[in-house]
Amino acid sequence: MSENETKPAFRKLFRRIAKATLMTVVAGIFWLVLWLLISSFLANFPEYLTRFAVLAWALLFFIFTIKVSEGTIYKHILIIARAFFLIVYVAYTTNYGVLTVKIEDFTFTVEFIPLLALMITINLLAMARGLLQAIEFTSQSPKD
Amino acid sequence: MRQTIRALGWIIAILWITTLLLPVTVAFSLMKLLEAKNIGIQETTISFSNGNFSLHMPFYINNTGFYDLSDIDINIQISRKNKTISSSSVHLPNVSAGTKADSSFNFSVSLEELVLKDSELLTNDTELDVNASLSLRVAYAIAFGTSVEFTTFWRAPFHNLTIYNLTYNMTHVTFSVSFDNHISNQISGPLKVELYNSTNALIGNATQNVHILPQESFQTSFAIKIADPTTMTHNGVIRIYFVGAQILEEEWTNFHE
Repeated sequence: MSENETKPAFRKLFRRIAKATLMTVVAGIFWLVLWLLISSFLANFPEYLTRFAVLAWALLFFIFTIKVSEGTIYKHILIIARAFFLIVYVAYTTNYGVLTVKIEDFTFTVEFIPLLALMITINLLAMARGLLQAIEFTSQSPKD
Repeated sequence: MRQTIRALGWIIAILWITTLLLPVTVAFSLMKLLEAKNIGIQETTISFSNGNFSLHMPFYINNTGFYDLSDIDINIQISRKNKTISSSSVHLPNVSAGTKADSSFNFSVSLEELVLKDSELLTNDTELDVNASLSLRVAYAIAFGTSVEFTTFWRAPFHNLTIYNLTYNMTHVTFSVSFDNHISNQISGPLKVELYNSTNALIGNATQNVHILPQESFQTSFAIKIADPTTMTHNGVIRIYFVGAQILEEEWTNFHE
């Protein structure tokens, strides 16, 4: 490979990383604002703030990697992985749709199993969509 | 395939919007419901008649929220030393948005039941543990439940029930009984005293009709005629009953003959 051919490839990669970084920063600002909004409510429940932070960082990671892997099969694999992660993480951290908060002699419970079922359905659909996109991608670009 | 992917994309977007909007609107709906006087307790009445304690607590839910409320369950459990004394549950049918539902709590416990569960409640003021819980489902999708534990002060109807000045003179046993009515109702009914010997055989009894106003002290004397002086022993048991329910059992001994 000549120096003339490597330069545009590097430039392309650099542009893609810059684009991905910009998108991740924008998404990061959104999550930060959301964090600031909910942190006052959840100040007494640090475990929920930690769960929120893990979710935010994981989604930012997926935004960055999906954007960087644009135009490759990895993008679709990452989309499927993100949907799978969301199913497992949301189900696990929400105690399968039943959250309980106990403050001294007061107990508060929220049960949102139908909503969780809907979220799982959405992510299953996202996985199916990612799979179809991957099939379509491989059928269109045999080089990958 | 491209059409399918596009359709799936739209479905996912619509479902995400619905999923994220629902909790927000449910929260707003609950905030409207929790506004002043949309859920309330009306005047509570407590009565004590024919040996039964009754509590009637009417309440209402005025659903001013956007969504229907369903599966409304309210439970109140009263216990002492981890032993349940009384419990009451109310299940309300659906309260549609914009409607008002009225219901009430009814507690009823007889003296016999109280004696069986905790006889000290009749003769001693004490603290009771109350566990109150409320659960409801909003928009048939998200359920909320709260429960709170607190203590309440129980005022005994026969507080400090005491038998004293016990004397015996071959034909009669005399003694005094006193107690304080700490409840907010008048106590009316027959107060019966039974005297047993050491072999647990009934040797005499007496009954007085009493009317004690709320927060008043009561004191009376009993003179029990011994039908057969040969059955008399130097110790035994005195049992006091009110409206048929035994409220005290105390041993007696060392009579002044």
